[in-house]
Amino acid sequence: MSAVASADVPGKPAAWYAQRTIVYLLLAAMSALFFVPFVWTITTSFKTIPDSVNVNLIPKVWTTSAWHVLFTQYDFATYIKNSFFLAAVIVASNIFLGALGGYAFARLRFPGRELLFLLVLGTLMVPDQLRLIPVFVLFVKWGLFGHFEGYILLNLVTAGNLFFMRQYFLTIPKDFEEAAKLDGAGYFKTFWRVMLPLVLPALAALATLQFQGTWNDFFWPLIIFGQGSVHLYTVQLGLAELELTYQTLWPQLMAGSLVAIAPVLVVFLVFQRYFIAGQVSAGVKG
Amino acid sequence: MAATATTGGVTRSARGTLFGARIREAGWGYAFVAVPMAVFGVFFVYPLGYAIYISLYNWGIFGPPAGSKAGFGNYHQVLSDPIFHTAIKNILEYTVGVVPLEMALGLSLALIVNAKIRARTFFRAAFYFPSIASSVAITTIAIYMLSSDGLFNRVVGGHRPWFSTPSTAIWSIVGLNAWTTAGTVMIFYLAALQSIPTDVYEAAAVDGTSGFRTFWKITFPLLRPAHFFVIVLFGTGALKLFDQAFIVSGGSGGPAYATYTPVLYVYRTGLGGNGQFGLAAAAGTIFFVAIFILTLGTRFTVGRGQSL
Repeated sequence: MSAVASADVPGKPAAWYAQRTIVYLLLAAMSALFFVPFVWTITTSFKTIPDSVNVNLIPKVWTTSAWHVLFTQYDFATYIKNSFFLAAVIVASNIFLGALGGYAFARLRFPGRELLFLLVLGTLMVPDQLRLIPVFVLFVKWGLFGHFEGYILLNLVTAGNLFFMRQYFLTIPKDFEEAAKLDGAGYFKTFWRVMLPLVLPALAALATLQFQGTWNDFFWPLIIFGQGSVHLYTVQLGLAELELTYQTLWPQLMAGSLVAIAPVLVVFLVFQRYFIAGQVSAGVKG
Repeated sequence: MAATATTGGVTRSARGTLFGARIREAGWGYAFVAVPMAVFGVFFVYPLGYAIYISLYNWGIFGPPAGSKAGFGNYHQVLSDPIFHTAIKNILEYTVGVVPLEMALGLSLALIVNAKIRARTFFRAAFYFPSIASSVAITTIAIYMLSSDGLFNRVVGGHRPWFSTPSTAIWSIVGLNAWTTAGTVMIFYLAALQSIPTDVYEAAAVDGTSGFRTFWKITFPLLRPAHFFVIVLFGTGALKLFDQAFIVSGGSGGPAYATYTPVLYVYRTGLGGNGQFGLAAAAGTIFFVAIFILTLGTRFTVGRGQSL
């Protein structure tokens, strides 16, 4: 398994120790690179403003005033609520529609199925910067601009999720459905009662990645809510606003950054294996 | 399907039910995919055509004024705009800089966590995390680290504000994004490393090949599909740089246009200030075609014989 396979081979202690040393030195360097900024961010959020430009890791005086600013001078409570609301709705709709559509494309036969599926794959090629202007114009025309409904409709179900679920359904043996069919179950009942419980790991992967994607999304919220709809701001928009107005008030900015990171960190710690599984298959679909 | 193959042997009425069953199945099939197809139709297929349509007009915020057909005028204007040229130059520099760095860092991380070290799952998670954390937050943290009195300057000496100095701004984003994306690249390399059969290494060990030689002569070439995959996936991703450029410049693409990217160009031309939608749509179309050609080009050159 190991790439550094000679580590397993006995009789070469000198080379073995040399290799271990290199691996652990690299590990130490990389760990410093990955941990120091985050630890620094956390302690800075509890510093006073003058103290934030000093090189001491531990604040001279601990204060929560930066955190206080987020919820008094800025409405981060609302931004957090907005972000959670959008993420919850979009995760739910992607689970349901992605699984339902993925099941149909994997199992049900209907004329034009391959052509429609090709179209699904084709949408993966259409980048956001090309859609930006026409979608904006349509949203203004239909009164969806500056509304949650617009953002939700745009993200109701993604081609990536549909594709991911189809691929997963293809790996499920057909015996389960045939048994259900013999029992006289209809198509929706077969999907809902028999197939959906079989793909729970895939749904968990989809949910974690979609939550992360929606929570972190900056581009479309900026387009749809960024022009004056402050009460609809997501956490990311709130942080960007903070960045524009506060410039170098580091404790506030670090506290805001931590708010923007924390929920994804929690989800990641709980569902880590789904993240990595989903990442690999999401990449493979290319 | 077996049932259709034996249709010849069944009675007329049975065939009737079969036919009915197929219609029923097709009906449910269409019903199940109806909402997703409607979403893709309205928000992907239609905008694709609409973008081209808009790009042919002098379209403002409230639509095209009467008789304002621009033909290819918008395309001409974008292609001869010095700011667009700067944006293209910036994004090419950025992409050429960031992709090899991501690969080197990602592969190093993969080798580390693939070696028999203590707490490897912990380190794998720790290295991966920055790539799933919010881009706005990570960029904000990086601005702090690279500010004139920031930690980075305390380590290397000097007081340069790296993101707001024209000559270093885009390279600072290169460093930032190589750092955040390395974790994802690591995951792909890790999967590739673990799919290399062990007997290859056993043969090398029997021959007494050193660890370093084993890596360069065996592991690295065997990772070719992964290299290709990372280049295409992260190369096309890099061309679409927006969030980080927007945050470090406050949406302006500055200082001195140093962080202007093509996507930021589309955004600012359309939604910033004048609302020149026709021009922005033309820029979006040009950029889309360029990425499309680049992707196909990569696939038929470096990617020959690779499945992706």
